[in-house]
Amino acid sequence: MEQENVNCLETQIELLVDLVKKGDKEAFMRIVSGYQQKVFVLAYSMVRDREDALDLVQETFMKLYEKIQSYRSGNNFQAWLMQIARNQTIDFLRKNKSRKQNSHDGLEMARTELSSNQDNPDRFNPKEMIHKAVLALPEKQRLVFIMHHFDDLKYQEIARQLQIAEGTVKSLHFKAVQKLRKLLAPQLGGSYE
Amino acid sequence: MSKCNRYKKDWLAFINGQLKPSRIKEMLRHLETCSVCQEELDQTKELLSLADGFKHELKQVMSTVDWEALPGDITEKVWARQEQPVRAGSSGWQVRWKWQPLTAGLVLGLLLGMALTFLVIKPQKPDLITAKQDSRINLPAGFVERVDMKLARRDTLDYLERSQYLLLELLQADQGRESAGLLQPDNIQKLLTEKKYLNARLEDFQLLKAKAICDQIEFLFLELSQLSPELTAAELEKVRRMIEENQLLLKINLVKKELQQSEV
Repeated sequence: MEQENVNCLETQIELLVDLVKKGDKEAFMRIVSGYQQKVFVLAYSMVRDREDALDLVQETFMKLYEKIQSYRSGNNFQAWLMQIARNQTIDFLRKNKSRKQNSHDGLEMARTELSSNQDNPDRFNPKEMIHKAVLALPEKQRLVFIMHHFDDLKYQEIARQLQIAEGTVKSLHFKAVQKLRKLLAPQLGGSYE
Repeated sequence: MSKCNRYKKDWLAFINGQLKPSRIKEMLRHLETCSVCQEELDQTKELLSLADGFKHELKQVMSTVDWEALPGDITEKVWARQEQPVRAGSSGWQVRWKWQPLTAGLVLGLLLGMALTFLVIKPQKPDLITAKQDSRINLPAGFVERVDMKLARRDTLDYLERSQYLLLELLQADQGRESAGLLQPDNIQKLLTEKKYLNARLEDFQLLKAKAICDQIEFLFLELSQLSPELTAAELEKVRRMIEENQLLLKINLVKKELQQSEV
């Protein structure tokens, strides 16, 4: 349902952006309405906290409004918006030191925790670990994995939204799965080579 | 653990049911004999199961969000934030607006001050300098000079006329008889004083001929001033001779005529 709304919105996005550039509040609200859940999925997949994810949705659209004048007609709006969301989320993870304990980087922290838990499978919390493992993926692999598994998008749709070849999407997804298997090998009860 | 790369890239598609039935059968047969691929398939399934678990958590969390109200909230916050600098700008403008009369007054005062300063101390044209020095009225120097020259000529003419009358009286005076009129010492002294004042002007305006005759008259008057009012015959004769020898009356007439002509 939401995807249908997004597809419908994409046909109007150039007009809506033009209106927002002129200060149209209603048009901005329609853009937020159309893309808010996509941004939330991305943010939550990386921070795994409802309130932080909602804050990131808000910050992403605030940043979008700040930058809207620089958006050029014909560009991939959704890819542009998701890039803003990714940057906002990564900034958040880096700045939010209280949650990182001794780590300087949220992604690095995920890798460290995953490797330390390899020796203690009893501490395995499936959702926590898949979240941290996804966070530890390279950016493009992470994005494709999130879009495919958490946002239920087909390879073709991911390819269209990210403006990359479908084969590239498949390759990125395969690499993401292999990487996750490697990161979670002890918890998955097997070895990985 | 040994490796088996035969179907390595297809296990995801296998799990998702995206392969042809013939390929799926082929892979199922392979799994019966390859523990390595079976383990990879099991791990991948478990991984995807974990992903599904996370997705389930995500969907649960998303179900708690009021997605209909959120766009409005975000939009209001975005608009509030973008209006803050505008308000700050408008308040700044209001502050500037309040200060504008004062600023305008200061600027106007400065401009007036500069203009007045310029008028007072501005470099003047050379022909106005003389006028400034001689008069507080800002008049063309030529005009002032002409007026001064005219006044000097009139004063000189006046001096010469009165001297002429006095000299005529001397020529007509009787011996031993006290003069009742112009030959009084006061008149002579007055003409001597007047000559002192006239000297500077005669030099300034280069009235050389007039100055020469005036000097001779002055010399005569000085002589007279040292004599008693009642002139002796000898004294009177001496004065008359001085007047006649120097042709003072003639010279006075000539100079007077020149002065009058140049005045026209």
